Amino acid sequence: MEQALVVEELRKNYGRYEAVKGISFSVQPGEIFALIGPNGAGKTTTLRIIATILAPSSGQVRVYNMSIGRDNEKIRQNISYLPEEAGAYKNLTGIGYLRFMADIFASDQRSRQEYVDTAVAICGLKNRLNDKIGSYSKGMTRKLLLARSIMTKPKLAILDEPTSGLDVLNALEIRQTIKEYAKAGMTVLVSSHNMLEIEYLCERVAIIDRGVIHQIGTPTELKTKYQAGNLEEVFAEVAK
Amino acid sequence: MRRFITLLKKELREQLTWQMILPFLLVVLVFLFIGNLTGKETKKALAPQKIAVLDEDRTPVSQTVIDSLTQSNFNVRTYTGITESSLVASAKNEGIATALVIPAGFEAEIAGNRSQPLTVYNIIRNFSFTGSVGNRVASQALDTINEALSNQLIAQKISGIDPLQLKKPVFPKNFVIIGARTAAVSPDQVTGFIMSQTTFLPIVMFLVIVIAAQMIAVSVAAEKENKTLETLLSTPISRTALVFAKMTAAGIVSLMIAVIYMFGFRYYMNGVTGFNAGEAFNPEMAAAIQQLGLMLDLPAYILLGISLFLSILIALAISLILGASAEDVKKAQGLVAPITFLIMIPYFLTMFIDLEGASPLLKYFVYFIPFSHPFLAAPNLFIHNYLSVIYGILYQTVFFMILVAAATRIFATDRILTLKLNFKKSGFK
Ligand SMILES: Nc1ncnc2c1ncn2[C@@H]1O[C@H](COP(=O)(O)OP(=O)(O)O)[C@@H](O)[C@H]1O
Ligand SMILES: [Mg+2]
Repeated sequence: MEQALVVEELRKNYGRYEAVKGISFSVQPGEIFALIGPNGAGKTTTLRIIATILAPSSGQVRVYNMSIGRDNEKIRQNISYLPEEAGAYKNLTGIGYLRFMADIFASDQRSRQEYVDTAVAICGLKNRLNDKIGSYSKGMTRKLLLARSIMTKPKLAILDEPTSGLDVLNALEIRQTIKEYAKAGMTVLVSSHNMLEIEYLCERVAIIDRGVIHQIGTPTELKTKYQAGNLEEVFAEVAK
Repeated sequence: MRRFITLLKKELREQLTWQMILPFLLVVLVFLFIGNLTGKETKKALAPQKIAVLDEDRTPVSQTVIDSLTQSNFNVRTYTGITESSLVASAKNEGIATALVIPAGFEAEIAGNRSQPLTVYNIIRNFSFTGSVGNRVASQALDTINEALSNQLIAQKISGIDPLQLKKPVFPKNFVIIGARTAAVSPDQVTGFIMSQTTFLPIVMFLVIVIAAQMIAVSVAAEKENKTLETLLSTPISRTALVFAKMTAAGIVSLMIAVIYMFGFRYYMNGVTGFNAGEAFNPEMAAAIQQLGLMLDLPAYILLGISLFLSILIALAISLILGASAEDVKKAQGLVAPITFLIMIPYFLTMFIDLEGASPLLKYFVYFIPFSHPFLAAPNLFIHNYLSVIYGILYQTVFFMILVAAATRIFATDRILTLKLNFKKSGFK
């Protein structure tokens, strides 16, 4: 079966500093896969490379058999990326922003409307969509952006810390939406430094620290292996 | 192309907000208001000036004084048989700023060849520009009176000779030569005319560049700060479209600001100088200007416009690159601030230094700064030196294209996300 994402021996240097030190993992279609690790582990760097906005220093990345570097144009048609701590254009209205992003991906008026309708349904912002984004709370903005990143039904959604900084209820809603769309066949790659919540969201996780992946497996597998109660305890063991 | 239009619309919607436009409209309204007001005041100042005269002499000579003032277009109010303090009181009452006293025995003293003091009361109400117009009335009145009396005296003492010929044996007959053209006109008038035609151009360019540079740098830096740029970079939009949409939107906004300012400025200048560019100011003067070829024709205006617009575009491209190199909005604002100096340097250098006579080093330094060329263009166009203006425009175009290529290059590589220009640390990180 064709893999959704294959990362092989990926390295990234910022000048002399090596942020990612030869990591490898793969993700199945329809799977929710998480990169978990502390701040500065190299999660964002890895996701940016897969999102085609940073060039790898060495190694291979393939998204549905399209190679990063060679097929960037094609990959961009098939992925969506939600950056960490992302905001949106403050002077646009929520609906204006969705229309703008839909315009970028849609090839005709009909699919554009379809994207916008999908996003409107997902974000649940209703009338507030007619207000300027500058007036939104953090939770509202995140819901709008998440809706934007999955409205085009991308083959691979790359979500960098999608719930960080949100209150419990907003985080829960976001996780539910992600799960729902993965069930419908979308592959999801998320990152998080909150290892507890990731158990509820992901099928498999990779534990990354200081640019190196230490373990890959389902949360249950990892907890059994280290005889830990949760993933945080697993990480504490792994990081030793 | 479709995506470019989408982006362009987004840029304009982001940048053209009321918070952004309102300050300009206010500035222009203030200009219009001041222009209108000073226009009215200037007209008032040019109207016949009122002057109060207390005639204590009541002789033919004192009458000559009064007549000479009336003939020189003063609005004379004559009093007799009152005290000096009631003269001042009535003048104040009537809103007259200048009051003269012709003392008793005036005629006799003049006939005896003794110069006479003439008491002048200057009533100052305020120290504004238009308020000071009143101050000049007194000295003008005195000149008029001296002229009339000395003419009379000369005519009495030396008969058969024109007093004017005695007082001014020579007078200038001015010619101004520009290139191969000559016209009978005074040089002051010509330079005054040129100044009135071009002074506002650099000011408008300066203001537009300062505002537009901030705007585009902040817009890019804000996209970096909000991560909207990362989002766009992960979509099928081409890097070139990103750069061009930003440039085009900022270009459109700059043009708008430029037009608004030009309009406001022209109106303001017309008000302040009482000089309407549309009207024929003085037929002889107009003929002389025409004869000297100093009227900018349409091609000249177009060349000047291109040179100005290219300067704005270059400033925008530099600001785009600086904005892309900044971590956040605040740093971006700090980075573009020095562009102001890049404009000031050629402005002052071209104003105070004759480049033709300057050292080659200085000359090429000025030529190298792309913002010099509009300042150099205006004088060149007045003397029909189109070729050097065109060379300047070509240089600016090349400069601009290099900048755009550099900007596109930055957007196409990691650098758009990793560049962190910081003056404290040394350069690139
Ligand atoms: N543009 C950059 N220039 C230099 N170093 C960077 C840059 N971006 C990230 N780093 C460094 O790379 C490491 C990994 O960062 P990042 O991928 O953002 O980690 P995470 O997302 O896991 O918190 C960190 O030590 C960070 O300081
Ligand atoms: Mg991160």
